Amino acid sequence: MILSLDILLFAILIVTALLALQVKDLLTAVAMLAGYSLFAALLFAGMQAVDVAFVEAALGAGLTGVLLIAAILATSRRIDGQEGMLRRVVVGSLVVGFVALMLFASGGLPDRGDPEAPAHQRVAPAYLEGSMEQTQTPNVVTAVLADYRSMDTLGETLVILTAALAASLVLVRREEGEP
Amino acid sequence: MTGGYPSEVVRVVCTVLSPFIAVFGLYVIAHGHYGPGGGFAGGVIVAVGAILPRMTLAEDLAYRAIPSITGPLAGGIGMLLFILCGVAPMLAGGAFLDYEALAIAGMEAARARYLGILAVEIAVGLAVFGALVLIYDVLAGRTD
Repeated sequence: MILSLDILLFAILIVTALLALQVKDLLTAVAMLAGYSLFAALLFAGMQAVDVAFVEAALGAGLTGVLLIAAILATSRRIDGQEGMLRRVVVGSLVVGFVALMLFASGGLPDRGDPEAPAHQRVAPAYLEGSMEQTQTPNVVTAVLADYRSMDTLGETLVILTAALAASLVLVRREEGEP
Repeated sequence: MTGGYPSEVVRVVCTVLSPFIAVFGLYVIAHGHYGPGGGFAGGVIVAVGAILPRMTLAEDLAYRAIPSITGPLAGGIGMLLFILCGVAPMLAGGAFLDYEALAIAGMEAARARYLGILAVEIAVGLAVFGALVLIYDVLAGRTD
Protein backbone atom coordinates (compact mmCIF):
# COMPACT_ATOMS: atom_id res chain seq x y z
CA MET A 1 0.00 0.00 0.00
CA ILE A 2 1.46 3.33 -1.08
CA LEU A 3 0.53 6.26 1.12
CA SER A 4 0.56 8.93 -1.61
CA LEU A 5 -1.66 6.75 -3.84
CA ASP A 6 -3.99 6.23 -0.88
CA ILE A 7 -4.28 9.95 -0.31
CA LEU A 8 -4.86 10.61 -4.02
CA LEU A 9 -7.60 7.96 -4.25
CA PHE A 10 -9.33 9.27 -1.14
CA ALA A 11 -9.19 12.81 -2.53
CA ILE A 12 -10.77 11.61 -5.80
CA LEU A 13 -13.43 9.72 -3.83
CA ILE A 14 -14.40 12.81 -1.84
CA VAL A 15 -14.44 15.03 -4.93
CA THR A 16 -16.59 12.64 -6.98
CA ALA A 17 -19.00 12.19 -4.06
CA LEU A 18 -19.36 15.96 -3.61
CA LEU A 19 -19.81 16.46 -7.37
CA ALA A 20 -22.49 13.75 -7.47
CA LEU A 21 -24.37 15.64 -4.76
CA GLN A 22 -23.92 19.07 -6.34
CA VAL A 23 -24.75 18.60 -10.04
CA LYS A 24 -28.31 19.32 -11.14
CA ASP A 25 -28.21 16.85 -14.04
CA LEU A 26 -28.96 13.40 -12.64
CA LEU A 27 -27.21 11.56 -15.48
CA THR A 28 -24.00 13.38 -14.57
CA ALA A 29 -24.55 12.42 -10.96
CA VAL A 30 -24.86 8.75 -11.96
CA ALA A 31 -21.62 8.99 -13.93
CA MET A 32 -19.93 10.54 -10.90
CA LEU A 33 -21.22 7.72 -8.68
CA ALA A 34 -19.88 5.12 -11.12
CA GLY A 35 -16.51 6.86 -11.03
CA TYR A 36 -16.68 6.89 -7.24
CA SER A 37 -17.25 3.12 -7.21
CA LEU A 38 -14.39 2.55 -9.63
CA PHE A 39 -11.93 4.43 -7.43
CA ALA A 40 -13.30 2.69 -4.34
CA ALA A 41 -12.56 -0.59 -6.13
CA LEU A 42 -9.00 0.58 -6.77
CA LEU A 43 -8.68 1.39 -3.08
CA PHE A 44 -9.90 -2.11 -2.14
CA ALA A 45 -7.48 -3.66 -4.61
CA GLY A 46 -4.70 -1.65 -2.97
CA MET A 47 -5.66 -3.24 0.35
CA GLN A 48 -5.23 -6.71 -1.25
CA ALA A 49 -8.99 -7.28 -1.06
CA VAL A 50 -9.26 -8.37 -4.70
CA ASP A 51 -12.60 -10.14 -4.33
CA VAL A 52 -14.26 -7.09 -2.81
CA ALA A 53 -12.68 -4.86 -5.45
CA PHE A 54 -14.00 -7.11 -8.20
CA VAL A 55 -17.57 -7.03 -6.92
CA GLU A 56 -17.36 -3.27 -6.34
CA ALA A 57 -16.13 -2.70 -9.90
CA ALA A 58 -18.71 -4.99 -11.50
CA LEU A 59 -21.70 -3.98 -9.41
CA GLY A 60 -20.96 -0.47 -8.22
CA ALA A 61 -19.24 0.94 -11.27
CA GLY A 62 -21.13 -1.14 -13.82
CA LEU A 63 -24.61 -2.37 -13.14
CA THR A 64 -25.77 0.10 -10.50
CA GLY A 65 -25.16 2.90 -12.99
CA VAL A 66 -27.22 1.08 -15.61
CA LEU A 67 -30.10 0.54 -13.19
CA LEU A 68 -29.97 4.18 -12.06
CA ILE A 69 -29.99 5.38 -15.68
CA ALA A 70 -32.99 3.13 -16.35
CA ALA A 71 -34.71 4.71 -13.35
CA ILE A 72 -33.86 8.22 -14.60
CA LEU A 73 -35.22 7.46 -18.06
CA ALA A 74 -38.42 6.16 -16.46
CA THR A 75 -38.81 9.33 -14.36
CA SER A 76 -37.09 12.68 -14.86
CA ARG A 77 -33.57 13.86 -15.51
CA ARG A 78 -33.62 17.14 -13.61
CA ILE A 79 -33.93 17.99 -9.96
CA ASP A 80 -36.91 20.27 -9.45
CA GLY A 81 -37.18 22.88 -6.74
CA GLN A 82 -34.72 24.29 -4.25
CA GLU A 83 -34.10 22.83 -0.84
CA GLY A 84 -34.80 25.16 2.06
CA MET A 85 -32.17 26.76 4.27
CA LEU A 86 -33.44 25.02 7.39
CA ARG A 87 -33.14 21.64 5.73
CA ARG A 88 -29.57 22.39 4.67
CA VAL A 89 -28.61 23.36 8.22
CA VAL A 90 -30.23 20.30 9.81
CA VAL A 91 -28.82 17.80 7.29
CA GLY A 92 -25.40 19.47 7.30
CA SER A 93 -25.07 19.35 11.07
CA LEU A 94 -26.22 15.72 11.12
CA VAL A 95 -23.60 14.80 8.53
CA VAL A 96 -20.85 16.68 10.36
CA GLY A 97 -21.84 15.02 13.65
CA PHE A 98 -21.85 11.58 12.07
CA VAL A 99 -18.43 12.12 10.48
CA ALA A 100 -17.04 13.31 13.82
CA LEU A 101 -18.47 10.21 15.51
CA MET A 102 -16.92 7.91 12.90
CA LEU A 103 -13.53 9.65 13.15
CA PHE A 104 -13.67 9.35 16.94
CA ALA A 105 -14.55 5.65 16.71
CA SER A 106 -11.87 4.94 14.09
CA GLY A 107 -9.25 5.99 16.63
CA GLY A 108 -9.98 2.74 18.49
CA LEU A 109 -9.51 0.50 15.47
CA PRO A 110 -6.38 -1.63 15.17
CA ASP A 111 -3.91 -0.73 12.42
CA ARG A 112 -4.54 -2.16 8.95
CA GLY A 113 -2.96 -5.60 8.65
CA ASP A 114 -2.13 -5.78 12.35
CA PRO A 115 -1.66 -9.50 13.15
CA GLU A 116 -2.68 -8.84 16.77
CA ALA A 117 -6.07 -7.45 15.74
CA PRO A 118 -9.05 -9.30 17.28
CA ALA A 119 -10.35 -10.21 13.81
CA HIS A 120 -7.20 -12.24 13.16
CA GLN A 121 -7.19 -14.07 16.49
CA ARG A 122 -10.17 -16.41 16.55
CA VAL A 123 -11.34 -18.49 13.58
CA ALA A 124 -9.45 -16.68 10.83
CA PRO A 125 -6.15 -18.59 11.30
CA ALA A 126 -8.03 -21.90 11.15
CA TYR A 127 -9.62 -20.90 7.84
CA LEU A 128 -6.33 -19.68 6.39
CA GLU A 129 -4.45 -22.81 7.37
CA GLY A 130 -7.20 -25.33 6.65
CA SER A 131 -8.89 -24.18 3.49
CA MET A 132 -6.47 -25.84 1.07
CA GLU A 133 -6.48 -29.13 2.93
CA GLN A 134 -10.14 -29.26 3.90
CA THR A 135 -11.76 -27.87 0.76
CA GLN A 136 -9.07 -28.02 -1.96
CA THR A 137 -9.75 -24.35 -2.61
CA PRO A 138 -6.74 -22.03 -2.95
CA ASN A 139 -8.88 -18.88 -2.76
CA VAL A 140 -9.65 -18.63 0.95
CA VAL A 141 -12.31 -15.97 0.37
CA THR A 142 -14.35 -18.39 -1.74
CA ALA A 143 -13.85 -21.18 0.79
CA VAL A 144 -15.08 -18.94 3.61
CA LEU A 145 -18.02 -17.59 1.62
CA ALA A 146 -19.31 -20.84 0.17
CA ASP A 147 -18.21 -23.42 2.71
CA TYR A 148 -17.26 -22.25 6.21
CA ARG A 149 -19.79 -19.42 6.25
CA SER A 150 -22.24 -20.63 3.64
CA MET A 151 -25.17 -19.94 5.94
CA ASP A 152 -24.37 -16.22 5.73
CA THR A 153 -24.19 -16.45 1.95
CA LEU A 154 -27.57 -18.20 1.92
CA GLY A 155 -29.04 -15.29 3.87
CA GLU A 156 -27.37 -12.77 1.55
CA THR A 157 -28.73 -14.43 -1.58
CA LEU A 158 -32.18 -14.57 -0.02
CA VAL A 159 -31.96 -10.83 0.73
CA ILE A 160 -30.98 -9.99 -2.87
CA LEU A 161 -33.79 -12.06 -4.33
CA THR A 162 -36.33 -10.69 -1.87
CA ALA A 163 -35.22 -7.14 -2.68
CA ALA A 164 -35.63 -7.77 -6.42
CA LEU A 165 -39.08 -9.29 -5.92
CA ALA A 166 -40.15 -6.43 -3.65
CA ALA A 167 -38.89 -3.90 -6.22
CA SER A 168 -40.84 -5.64 -8.95
CA LEU A 169 -44.00 -5.68 -6.82
CA VAL A 170 -43.70 -1.94 -6.15
CA LEU A 171 -42.69 -0.88 -9.66
CA VAL A 172 -44.61 -3.17 -11.97
CA ARG A 173 -46.88 -1.11 -14.23
CA ARG A 174 -50.38 -2.41 -14.70
CA GLU A 175 -52.66 -1.48 -17.55
CA GLU A 176 -55.44 0.98 -16.76
CA GLY A 177 -58.43 -0.74 -15.18
CA GLU A 178 -56.55 -3.84 -14.07
CA PRO A 179 -56.71 -4.45 -10.34
CA MET B 1 -35.26 3.65 -23.25
CA THR B 2 -36.61 0.62 -25.02
CA GLY B 3 -36.43 0.30 -28.76
CA GLY B 4 -33.35 0.44 -30.90
CA TYR B 5 -30.58 2.85 -30.02
CA PRO B 6 -30.18 5.31 -32.92
CA SER B 7 -26.49 4.65 -33.58
CA GLU B 8 -25.77 1.52 -35.58
CA VAL B 9 -22.19 1.37 -34.27
CA VAL B 10 -23.44 1.13 -30.69
CA ARG B 11 -26.00 -1.52 -31.60
CA VAL B 12 -23.50 -3.71 -33.44
CA VAL B 13 -20.77 -3.36 -30.80
CA CYS B 14 -23.19 -4.22 -28.00
CA THR B 15 -24.56 -7.21 -29.89
CA VAL B 16 -21.09 -8.56 -30.56
CA LEU B 17 -19.79 -7.85 -27.04
CA SER B 18 -22.65 -9.17 -24.93
CA PRO B 19 -22.05 -12.93 -25.49
CA PHE B 20 -18.37 -12.45 -24.62
CA ILE B 21 -19.29 -10.57 -21.46
CA ALA B 22 -21.66 -13.38 -20.50
CA VAL B 23 -19.00 -16.02 -21.13
CA PHE B 24 -16.53 -14.07 -19.00
CA GLY B 25 -19.16 -14.01 -16.25
CA LEU B 26 -19.52 -17.80 -16.47
CA TYR B 27 -15.72 -18.07 -16.25
CA VAL B 28 -15.72 -15.93 -13.11
CA ILE B 29 -18.39 -18.14 -11.52
CA ALA B 30 -16.55 -21.36 -12.38
CA HIS B 31 -13.14 -19.95 -11.45
CA GLY B 32 -14.05 -18.73 -7.98
CA HIS B 33 -11.95 -21.47 -6.39
CA TYR B 34 -8.72 -20.15 -7.86
CA GLY B 35 -9.13 -16.46 -8.56
CA PRO B 36 -11.11 -13.47 -7.42
CA GLY B 37 -14.81 -13.51 -8.02
CA GLY B 38 -17.27 -16.31 -7.58
CA GLY B 39 -21.01 -16.52 -7.74
CA PHE B 40 -21.82 -12.94 -6.87
CA ALA B 41 -19.45 -11.09 -9.21
CA GLY B 42 -19.96 -13.66 -11.97
CA GLY B 43 -23.74 -13.40 -11.74
CA VAL B 44 -23.50 -9.61 -12.05
CA ILE B 45 -21.33 -9.89 -15.17
CA VAL B 46 -23.65 -12.43 -16.81
CA ALA B 47 -26.54 -10.08 -16.03
CA VAL B 48 -24.66 -7.27 -17.79
CA GLY B 49 -24.37 -9.53 -20.83
CA ALA B 50 -28.15 -9.96 -20.79
CA ILE B 51 -28.99 -6.31 -20.07
CA LEU B 52 -26.72 -4.74 -22.71
CA PRO B 53 -28.87 -5.93 -25.66
CA ARG B 54 -31.99 -4.82 -23.79
CA MET B 55 -30.65 -1.28 -23.58
CA THR B 56 -29.59 -0.97 -27.20
CA LEU B 57 -31.50 -3.34 -29.48
CA ALA B 58 -35.09 -3.16 -30.63
CA GLU B 59 -37.40 -4.64 -28.04
CA ASP B 60 -38.61 -7.74 -29.88
CA LEU B 61 -35.04 -8.59 -30.88
CA ALA B 62 -33.55 -8.25 -27.41
CA TYR B 63 -36.30 -10.16 -25.65
CA ARG B 64 -36.36 -13.02 -28.15
CA ALA B 65 -33.13 -14.57 -26.85
CA ILE B 66 -33.70 -13.82 -23.17
CA PRO B 67 -37.41 -13.31 -22.46
CA SER B 68 -38.53 -11.30 -19.46
CA ILE B 69 -39.56 -14.48 -17.61
CA THR B 70 -35.83 -15.32 -17.30
CA GLY B 71 -35.33 -12.95 -14.36
CA PRO B 72 -37.73 -14.44 -11.81
CA LEU B 73 -37.17 -17.94 -13.20
CA ALA B 74 -33.36 -17.89 -12.83
CA GLY B 75 -33.61 -16.22 -9.44
CA GLY B 76 -36.01 -18.84 -8.15
CA ILE B 77 -34.02 -21.76 -9.56
CA GLY B 78 -30.80 -20.40 -8.05
CA MET B 79 -32.37 -19.99 -4.62
CA LEU B 80 -33.88 -23.49 -4.80
CA LEU B 81 -30.51 -24.94 -5.81
CA PHE B 82 -28.83 -23.24 -2.86
CA ILE B 83 -31.42 -24.58 -0.41
CA LEU B 84 -31.07 -28.00 -2.02
CA CYS B 85 -27.30 -27.80 -1.39
CA GLY B 86 -28.17 -27.19 2.24
CA VAL B 87 -30.83 -29.86 2.63
CA ALA B 88 -29.17 -32.69 0.66
CA PRO B 89 -26.36 -33.22 3.24
CA MET B 90 -29.02 -33.36 5.95
CA LEU B 91 -30.71 -36.24 4.11
CA ALA B 92 -27.31 -37.95 3.92
CA GLY B 93 -26.92 -37.63 7.68
CA GLY B 94 -24.82 -34.47 7.98
CA ALA B 95 -25.55 -30.95 9.12
CA PHE B 96 -27.18 -28.19 7.07
CA LEU B 97 -24.81 -27.11 4.26
CA ASP B 98 -22.19 -29.67 5.35
CA TYR B 99 -21.16 -30.97 1.90
CA GLU B 100 -18.77 -33.47 3.44
CA ALA B 101 -21.70 -35.75 4.18
CA LEU B 102 -22.39 -36.05 0.45
CA ALA B 103 -19.03 -37.69 -0.31
CA ILE B 104 -19.69 -40.85 -2.31
CA ALA B 105 -17.59 -43.90 -1.41
CA GLY B 106 -14.01 -43.43 -2.56
CA MET B 107 -14.30 -39.64 -2.72
CA GLU B 108 -12.19 -37.48 -0.48
CA ALA B 109 -14.15 -35.34 1.98
CA ALA B 110 -12.27 -32.29 0.72
CA ARG B 111 -13.32 -33.12 -2.87
CA ALA B 112 -16.97 -33.20 -1.81
CA ARG B 113 -16.58 -29.78 -0.21
CA TYR B 114 -14.86 -28.51 -3.36
CA LEU B 115 -17.81 -29.64 -5.48
CA GLY B 116 -20.25 -28.29 -2.90
CA ILE B 117 -18.60 -24.87 -3.16
CA LEU B 118 -18.94 -25.02 -6.96
CA ALA B 119 -22.65 -25.88 -6.68
CA VAL B 120 -23.23 -23.03 -4.25
CA GLU B 121 -21.37 -20.58 -6.49
CA ILE B 122 -23.53 -21.58 -9.45
CA ALA B 123 -26.65 -21.20 -7.31
CA VAL B 124 -25.60 -17.74 -6.11
CA GLY B 125 -24.70 -16.74 -9.67
CA LEU B 126 -28.12 -17.80 -10.97
CA ALA B 127 -29.95 -16.01 -8.16
CA VAL B 128 -27.99 -12.77 -8.60
CA PHE B 129 -28.38 -12.90 -12.40
CA GLY B 130 -32.12 -13.42 -12.04
CA ALA B 131 -32.54 -10.68 -9.46
CA LEU B 132 -30.67 -8.06 -11.51
CA VAL B 133 -32.40 -8.90 -14.79
CA LEU B 134 -35.74 -8.76 -12.98
CA ILE B 135 -34.95 -5.33 -11.54
CA TYR B 136 -33.93 -4.03 -14.97
CA ASP B 137 -37.03 -5.42 -16.67
CA VAL B 138 -39.29 -3.87 -14.06
CA LEU B 139 -37.58 -0.49 -14.39
CA ALA B 140 -37.84 -0.66 -18.17
CA GLY B 141 -41.51 -1.52 -17.86
CA ARG B 142 -41.23 -4.95 -19.46
CA THR B 143 -42.87 -7.57 -17.29
CA ASP B 144 -45.24 -9.64 -19.33
